[in-house]
Amino acid sequence: MTLIHVPRPDVKSAMNPNRPVNALLKAQVQHLHEAERNLPLRHRTDIYINAIKTEGEAAEYIRRVTEAIHEAHEAAAAKHGRGIAIAAAAEGPGDKAPGASRGKKKSKGKRARET
Amino acid sequence: MPPGLDNLRHIVVLMMENRSFDHMLGSLTAVDPRIDGVTDQLSNPDTTGALVKPQPLAQFQGQLDPDPDHHFPAVDLQIFGGDTSPNRVANMQGFVKSYFNQQQDVGHAQKIMYYFTEQQLPVLTTLALEFAVFNRWFASIPGPTICNRAFAHYGTSFGRVDMNLLYVNEPFKSIYDRLINANPKHTAKLYYYDTTSSTMEITNLLENQPELFGTYPQFLTDCSTSNLPDYSFIEPNFNDHDSDSGEEVASDQHPDHNIQAGELFIASVYNAIKASPLWPNTALLVVYDEHGGIYDHVVPPACTPDQFTASANDTGTGQPFAFDRLGVRVPAILISPWIPKGTVVDGRIFDHASIPATITKFFLRDYSPRSPRETSADVFIEPNVAPVDPTRNLLSLAAMRDDCPDFDV
Repeated sequence: MTLIHVPRPDVKSAMNPNRPVNALLKAQVQHLHEAERNLPLRHRTDIYINAIKTEGEAAEYIRRVTEAIHEAHEAAAAKHGRGIAIAAAAEGPGDKAPGASRGKKKSKGKRARET
Repeated sequence: MPPGLDNLRHIVVLMMENRSFDHMLGSLTAVDPRIDGVTDQLSNPDTTGALVKPQPLAQFQGQLDPDPDHHFPAVDLQIFGGDTSPNRVANMQGFVKSYFNQQQDVGHAQKIMYYFTEQQLPVLTTLALEFAVFNRWFASIPGPTICNRAFAHYGTSFGRVDMNLLYVNEPFKSIYDRLINANPKHTAKLYYYDTTSSTMEITNLLENQPELFGTYPQFLTDCSTSNLPDYSFIEPNFNDHDSDSGEEVASDQHPDHNIQAGELFIASVYNAIKASPLWPNTALLVVYDEHGGIYDHVVPPACTPDQFTASANDTGTGQPFAFDRLGVRVPAILISPWIPKGTVVDGRIFDHASIPATITKFFLRDYSPRSPRETSADVFIEPNVAPVDPTRNLLSLAAMRDDCPDFDV
């Protein structure tokens, strides 16, 4: 059995949350915004998406809306007595996706302007 | 029945972002001439008329910035070289011209022809040489990400050639819907990296069916505890972000994200499956959603038209599109311990509609309705129903391999 060496990227130079948001992330933000409009008011972020200019800002919005969608589903399931197994519930604080990462930091993505 | 098919219980698809076949695997022609990659005869004209050859000068990051245009009009230019006449013939001669349009820089535009060496991509090239690499797997549409990913989920993009994924009340069900509502019921899951990367399948799946979703850590757990669903679709990390675990570098390989982070991610998916008790029962497809505007030399073939047509206004080329030809070729590799080392799949044409077509035929045998594109798409795993055509079955070994590589992730 052969063991293949996989070089790791230099996280310091590879990581750039200030990179201008690409077309794919823009589309993802817009689609999440559409999804967010269907959420109950208490789960909406009120983030003004036209102010999102960088990848870090997009990431922060994507996280908040994804969590809000999960929370809305959990709330609906609790109200109706249904048990929905959703991704957020499976993502415990100790879970970590192995990839190119460095250090331990709290989430602190630069936020877009909130309205 | 071939034991590889008899043992197969789980199919996993990992879809990466925006790299062409020649860019990632083109160097392998020098290793195995059966692989249809880069040769000395290939070139593209730049805007001065000079011929630019593919060169092994691709870099992990910082080279394809700005992101090469891969929306429908740009890909049309890349494929047809700028010919808009009625009887035009595809020639793959417009890649440098297309990239030049973004910065008006002749030197920078030539970088669209660069490709990686075998040594730069030890994960992808090893998997290609060890298992089954497809010479003719194409993006489903000559256009951008979302509509191409739709073909992997629905077998169609419902007439879209753009980034609009608001597929509501459409006539065809996703492969996930088909599986979980089947009788007997099957299991399916779409694993996204984490909540900050989230998914590209938002409107229908995350909004309406959160039970179908899992995170990448859950995929790792499901591998190690033998709880993989019948069908898994994995999305890489689409953005650079901080997490409670540290700084997460995007692993999707979308320009200008780091290629090595993607290599690491592919290796971790492979290692998780290989270390799982389910390794004998699992097949993994690694595929890219579209070429990202980057050079490939193979002309995309015609295909069965879909029942939808994109209007001239939607395509942006002045011509409607009937979904009757494929997009640019992308890397695709099928991995299983039942596949002979060094398999090169040639003479057959695949696109992302082959994914729901394969999953449907393998697990459900049949399903209706499905799109014309999907019902006519070739399958990469044969249904385990006699008779199995040995010339098409890729999981063909009589005994499972014990020489499959490991990656030190």
